[in-house]
Amino acid sequence: MTSTTMDAATAELLTGSLRNLFAGSAGRAVGPALETLGWSEVVAEDPAGATTLLFTEHGRALASSHALDAVLLAELDQVLPAGNGTRAVLYPHPGDGDQPSTVDGPVRGLLLAGLESVDEVVVPVRESGSVALLTADPGSLPTEPVAGFDAGSGWLTVTGWQPSGTTVPAAKAWERAVAAGRRALAAEIAGVCQAALGLAVAHTSARVQYGRPIASFQAVRHRLAEGHVAINDSASMLDAAWAAAGSADGGAWAAALAKLRAGRAQAEVMRHCVQVLGAMGLTSESAMHRYVTRASALDALLGGHRALSEATGRTLLAGAPADPVVEV
Amino acid sequence: MTRTATASLATDVGAYRTSLRAYLRNGDALDRWRGKHYASTEHRIADHAALMEHLYKDGWNRYGWPAEVGGLDGDERHRAVLYDELSAAGLPVPDPHLMLETLGPPVVHFAPDLAARYLPEYLRGENWWGQGFSEPEAGSDLAGLRCRARREGDHYVLSGQKLWTSHGATASRFVCLVRTGAPESRHRGLSMIMVDADAPSVSVRPIALASGYQDLAEVFFDDVVVPTDRLIGEEGQGWAVAMYLLQWERAMYAWLCSAVALRRFRELLGQVAGTSLPDGAATRIGECYGDIIALRARSAQTVRRLAAGETVGPEASVDKVLLATAEISVHDLARDLLGTDFVFGAGADTGDWRADWWFSRSTTILGGSAEVQRTILADHVLGLPKEPRA
Repeated sequence: MTSTTMDAATAELLTGSLRNLFAGSAGRAVGPALETLGWSEVVAEDPAGATTLLFTEHGRALASSHALDAVLLAELDQVLPAGNGTRAVLYPHPGDGDQPSTVDGPVRGLLLAGLESVDEVVVPVRESGSVALLTADPGSLPTEPVAGFDAGSGWLTVTGWQPSGTTVPAAKAWERAVAAGRRALAAEIAGVCQAALGLAVAHTSARVQYGRPIASFQAVRHRLAEGHVAINDSASMLDAAWAAAGSADGGAWAAALAKLRAGRAQAEVMRHCVQVLGAMGLTSESAMHRYVTRASALDALLGGHRALSEATGRTLLAGAPADPVVEV
Repeated sequence: MTRTATASLATDVGAYRTSLRAYLRNGDALDRWRGKHYASTEHRIADHAALMEHLYKDGWNRYGWPAEVGGLDGDERHRAVLYDELSAAGLPVPDPHLMLETLGPPVVHFAPDLAARYLPEYLRGENWWGQGFSEPEAGSDLAGLRCRARREGDHYVLSGQKLWTSHGATASRFVCLVRTGAPESRHRGLSMIMVDADAPSVSVRPIALASGYQDLAEVFFDDVVVPTDRLIGEEGQGWAVAMYLLQWERAMYAWLCSAVALRRFRELLGQVAGTSLPDGAATRIGECYGDIIALRARSAQTVRRLAAGETVGPEASVDKVLLATAEISVHDLARDLLGTDFVFGAGADTGDWRADWWFSRSTTILGGSAEVQRTILADHVLGLPKEPRA
């Protein structure tokens, strides 16, 4: 079964709306703009199709917003007491893999956008071998802009926050939230990859050397074809992950694989795209570097592809069945 | 099984899966095909044919094929489920099913009479077919093939040579792409025709792979008389038949391989359990598993499209690239995890891994090489400027 029920015409229409939305916003206003679009109804009708479209376009536009928080909160809100206004999520710091900090603190993590219009931050913590949730007053969190590879992400790091308050046990909810987050991130990475490949196709089709477009040289053509294969590979895996999303653990195993394949795809796509752009690929004059750095940042969020490969391999070596995941 | 029960399995893939799974779990009679090692390709394919006979007797490999050709109806998904459940039950997918997936659909579509005559015995495991496409001078450039079929009244006279014919040494018929037009007519002057291996003036020379297994052959036609009713499609329509066939060759074969690869991956993990593994083994294992599951995800979508009657175009090259990636991945993983045992070990399990490793190298060559697939994607999917013709 295919997990989305959306027909091609609807998908095209919604894609157009989303592109306008991201073109018109500086990123922060994505939430209210989606509300105006009636997005929650689209999601309710077709979670797989709507989420994939939204995050693909989010990625393509290199947007920064709390959109992913809404995906995780759809699971986390179910175990938290009724909220006070708008919530955001603190993600595990990529330096800790996909593991939240311990409840003893100090806590570190990532926020995907500023906290100006946020009333409460949901903080996952590890407590006696399981994940629990805390809520934090945004003003109490020591934040600073993320530096590093993707300086344009708009993300914030939180370091040295000392937890306070009562924890809410959330092992299952967190597992489901991470699975949902990984599916959304796989789509977002795909969007970044599609944009990068589109740029590389356009560049190599226009750039002439030896009297012909460089995209007519087999070495270049095959790199671009491999990028296309990698993007389609991860799109199919994401579709399979959505088909598994209804299971009790939220389809965690398949969602991890979807994130793994997306992370692997971005490594492959970016390697080829940077190469075929020639020196332009490593300058700030071409947009390519922004796709490279954003894709690597998204890969690191909720478990990078190498870490997920290793974790999957360890689980299999420990005797877990090699689940077929996909059926016709 | 009653006719009503059969009809309901043909329309309900889920019920077919459940019933088949129960059948495969309960049959001690199937144990003779589990964990088997074969000294030669000829032994293996004969034993696999016996498994087909067994499955046919109880009906299981007849689903997915129309009643007119010995099947019990249903669609491609039934065949996909069969390969998947056999693999999950630790059984081989019978070798003759490989060529059945490639050659069966075009024969059913373009030559229903031939299909009605010859497919039932194929499904029963009594005989199987080889695919005669490549030639010494026509590999990747298939449209340059020269094996000639000359029309003489109500028959054709075939002369020429085919090469790299899978199961060529044991096949009883060959489905050949031959030239019926002018020598320089390229893809326009081709026809597809079925030739009996035991017809006078057909000779077959097996080709041993580096493993010693004779999985391939070359076939010579020295003025072989073939009735015109053996044409698959019209004269001159051979290229269209070949393109039609590619949908199954690239998609169903990919799914079949993913099922077998997952079984071999499980067997490998069982074999290396408790041994000391090289650095990075866990990561490699996780990556390889991802390669196999991503192939399944992709080819499942394509199988569903075929079952829904959609035409699968050049995008099927993605399936073929992923298939080759997964095949290479699992066999390189075996080679690396087995380590020196792979190189020097005398055990039958290790010997199978070595033979399979050699055969896995063919996945980036046969059915359109890795390079050809990438060029198809560059030309027809990405729409890149074409390479200049030499």
